[in-house]
Order: sequence, then structure tokens, then C-alpha cells
Amino acid sequence: MFIGTVLYAVVNSVILALLAIGFNLTFGISGVANFAYGALYIMSAYLSWMLLNLLELPFLLAAVISILITTLCGALMYRFVLLRVRGQALSEVIATFGIGLAILELFRYLGFVGFEYTLPVLIDHSFVIFGAYIDMQRILIVIVGAVLVIFLWLFTHHTSIGLAFRGIAQDERTALSLGINSDRIATLSVSFGAGLAAIAATIIIPLGSISPSEGYDVLIKALAVCIIGGLGSTGGVIVASFVIGFAERFTDSYISSHWTMIVSLAAILIVLTIKPSGLFGKQKELEERI
Amino acid sequence: MHPSPLLKVAGLYKNFGGVQAIHDLSFDLARGELLGLIGPNGSGKTTAVNLITGFVKPTEGNIIYNGQNISGLPPYKIIRMGIARTFQMVKPFYQLPAYKNMIIPLYSPRVKKRVGGKYGDRDAVALDLLEEVGFERDAFVAYKSASVLPQGYLKRLELAKAIALQPDLIILDELFSGLSLAEVASIVPIIEKLRLEGKTIIMIEHRLKELFRIADRIIVLNYGEKIAEGFSNEVMESDAVKKAYLGAEA
Repeated sequence: MFIGTVLYAVVNSVILALLAIGFNLTFGISGVANFAYGALYIMSAYLSWMLLNLLELPFLLAAVISILITTLCGALMYRFVLLRVRGQALSEVIATFGIGLAILELFRYLGFVGFEYTLPVLIDHSFVIFGAYIDMQRILIVIVGAVLVIFLWLFTHHTSIGLAFRGIAQDERTALSLGINSDRIATLSVSFGAGLAAIAATIIIPLGSISPSEGYDVLIKALAVCIIGGLGSTGGVIVASFVIGFAERFTDSYISSHWTMIVSLAAILIVLTIKPSGLFGKQKELEERI
Repeated sequence: MHPSPLLKVAGLYKNFGGVQAIHDLSFDLARGELLGLIGPNGSGKTTAVNLITGFVKPTEGNIIYNGQNISGLPPYKIIRMGIARTFQMVKPFYQLPAYKNMIIPLYSPRVKKRVGGKYGDRDAVALDLLEEVGFERDAFVAYKSASVLPQGYLKRLELAKAIALQPDLIILDELFSGLSLAEVASIVPIIEKLRLEGKTIIMIEHRLKELFRIADRIIVLNYGEKIAEGFSNEVMESDAVKKAYLGAEA
């Protein structure tokens, strides 16, 4: 049972990391808390479902198209809405939350509710590892999660646009003075974040079903992971995902599934009480706080 | 016939709400010239620089650089046209080592255009540039995180980042502030070398003695207005300048 719990805790942690990494990327670079994140995740899943079931495209092609469309939607959202309220944190939250609400409730209004709305698993196969059953989709989730983290690291450390991302993440004024177009980078950051949400949906949704309420859950989970990890810190997101992921699965297995949410919330409370800026969050410099 | 100036500021105004930060500022800057911009605190020096570099949009007036009107353009476009600046309060990328701070300007679109997309070993270029501004290679200072570097090195790093952009015009906003006499003395030759290389320079300074030794011309601002212009000794003899600095009756 212990090995099985550990395996499922790892999968759960990677799922949380996948859910949060796009939200975190956008916030880390442009400071935009994209509250439409959960809606973009669900929207991409519905798009894949429609391309798959209504246009009868192959699943992989449907997934790629829906990831591209979601990425484009992120860019359009920044150019036409967020650019106008840039720098006003509350307005950004209200605008993005409003967009998210509209997307999710539109799908609910159109009747996209029910267990038939799901995506197929990529490989229908399962293994026994140390006496515990685990299916290929979950293994795929771990692989995709690891690949994405490595890709993001290489991207932000070894490409000029990635360096520009980091530059603007650290100080917009300095980045501008070095010839970096901050609006373009911010557009890309929201768009890449949306794309990452779509990739996460493609790989995670086959474990369950698509529903508008899932969009709110995804947003809350992404927020919880980012807040514990320290907003904007990729390392923080990974560590926080494992803290919550393990806490949830071990509570499930050894206490009771009723306690899962309480343990997760307690983990959040404890971390924030001890370190209000999150595990890896940077305390604001004194000059900025006074 | 005089060659056309590199920078021409004409009838520049900037109002922040009811406050007039810049009032009818006009001046020309010849290629290769070193212009000192001085004035008491709050006289509008940094606002003038922010206007030239696009960080603030002018209320009225024109800024012509290399024959093009750049007033109101965003900073990144202006920087790509060949104007680099440093900031009075330096904000390096603290999480990165000093030489990695150089990577961002070295990968900038302007540098990319000038080297034809061939970057080679950017780390080596970064280390060379840092050595030029006084990062001792033997002491491995360039490899240290920007967060642990003293102010003197951060100012040098700021200068190196501006030089890395291969600008034609460099604007130095209080580069000497917070530095010791010895540190200033070691930076002055770097600025003189830039001039020999044909760079045009604007320096905002409070350290007047050091500035007067290297500047070709001085402009004095007070309450956003140009109150004097000329050689160093001339402007300090002006009654308006004495009044602005000392509060004495002219």
C-alpha cells in the first residue's frame, strides 16, 4: 500500500505542477494573475472534444489544434483586454475572472455537462509496479510534466527570448532600457501560460471528465500551489506541488478522503504562517515596502 | 556649414498634472560631444532623460535623433535606434551573476542586427566588456551574483550594459553618485575612452568638479527650465545659476 500511495502521490503532484506551471509562468513574467486560467484549461478540452467528436479529427491533431487556438486566445486576451488595464492588479484580476466566468458559463448554458464529455487516453495500458497498478496515462502525465519543466528551464536559460522573459520578470524598467519590448513579452507570457493550460488539459482530462465547474477547481488548485510555492517561482511550484500532492494522497490512504481538503488547507496555512511570501517567494525589498 | 546634430530637442514640455516638470527645453547635441546636464534636485534633469529615452511621453515638443522624430516612441524602439541609458538607482538582475546580466543586452535586437545574427561566445564578450569597465578578471568578480556586489561594481555593471548595446548616444544618470573619489577617478578614464571611440554622451551629475573636467558643454536646469548653457566656468558664473544653487539674490 505504501509504494502504491507514493506512486499515486507522485502522479498527483505532477498533475498539480502541470495545472500551476502556466499560471505561474504568466505571473512570474508579466505580473498578471490570469484568473481565466481554469476557463482556458476547460475551453481547450471542449475544443479538443468538439474537433474529435464533431469534426472527427484524430485525437492528436485535435489536441494540437486546440492547444494552438488556446495559445492564440491568451495572446488576444492580453492585446485587447489586459493591455488596457496593465499594471492595475485589481482590474487585471476582475477582467480575467470575468472572461473566465463568461467562457465557463457559456459552456454550461450550451449544455456541455455530463460524463460523455471527456477525452480519450493516449495509450490504453496499465502496469504493475511493486505490486501497485498504474495506468499508462498517469505515467505519461509524469513524463510530460518532467519534459515541460526541463523545456521551460532550457527555454528560460538558453534562448534569447527566454532571457528576455527573465529580464522582464526581474525588472521591467531595466528590460525596457535594454531594448526589450515589454508588451510583446507580456503578450507571449499570457499566451504561453494559456498554451500550458491547454497541454495540461489534453493530458489530465482523460482521467476524468470535462465540466465547467472543473474550471474553477483548476484555478483554485493553481492558485494554492503558486501561493505556497511563492508566486513566480518555478522551483517553488514544483516543491509546493509535491507538498500538497503527497499530503493529499497520504491523507486519502491513511486517514480518510474526507480529510484530504482539510490537510491541503492546513498545509497552505502552515506555510503561509511561517513564510508569508511562500516557500520560494522573494520578500519585497524594504524600499518597495515603505 | 555645421554638420547636423545627433540630437535636437525643440520646445519640449512635460506636465505632471498641474506640475510643469519641463518647460520649453531646447538644445542641440553634436556628434561626439559630451554634454553635462546639471541643476538642483527636482530641476527636471531625470525627466528630460526620461523624455529623450521614451520612458515618459512629452506633453509638447519634438526630439529629433539622427534626423528622425523619436518623441513619444516607446523606450525599446528608441534604445534599438542607438540611445542607451543608465539609471541613477541601479536595478541589476540580482539573481544572475554579473556577466550573465550582460547577456540580455548582448542578445538585444540592436546587437543582433549589428552582428548579423552571429553571436559567437557571448559570455566571453560579456567578460571582456566587464573587464573594460573595471571588473578585475583575476579576482573573478564578474562571476559573482549581482546581489552581493558593492555599489561601485553595480554602477560599472550598469555602464557596461549600456556599452554592450553599441549605442551612438549614451546617457549617464548620476553615474558617480554614491561612489568614492577613488572610484570616480577610475571611471573617468572609461568615459574619456568612450569619447575617443566617437560616442556622444550626456551626463547628469551632482559631482560638478569631476564633470567639469570632462564635459564640453554644460546645460543648467532649474524648475524644468534651461537657465544657463555654455562652458563649465561660464555657467557657474551666471547669476541665475548662483541663485538656483545657493539661493542667493542675483
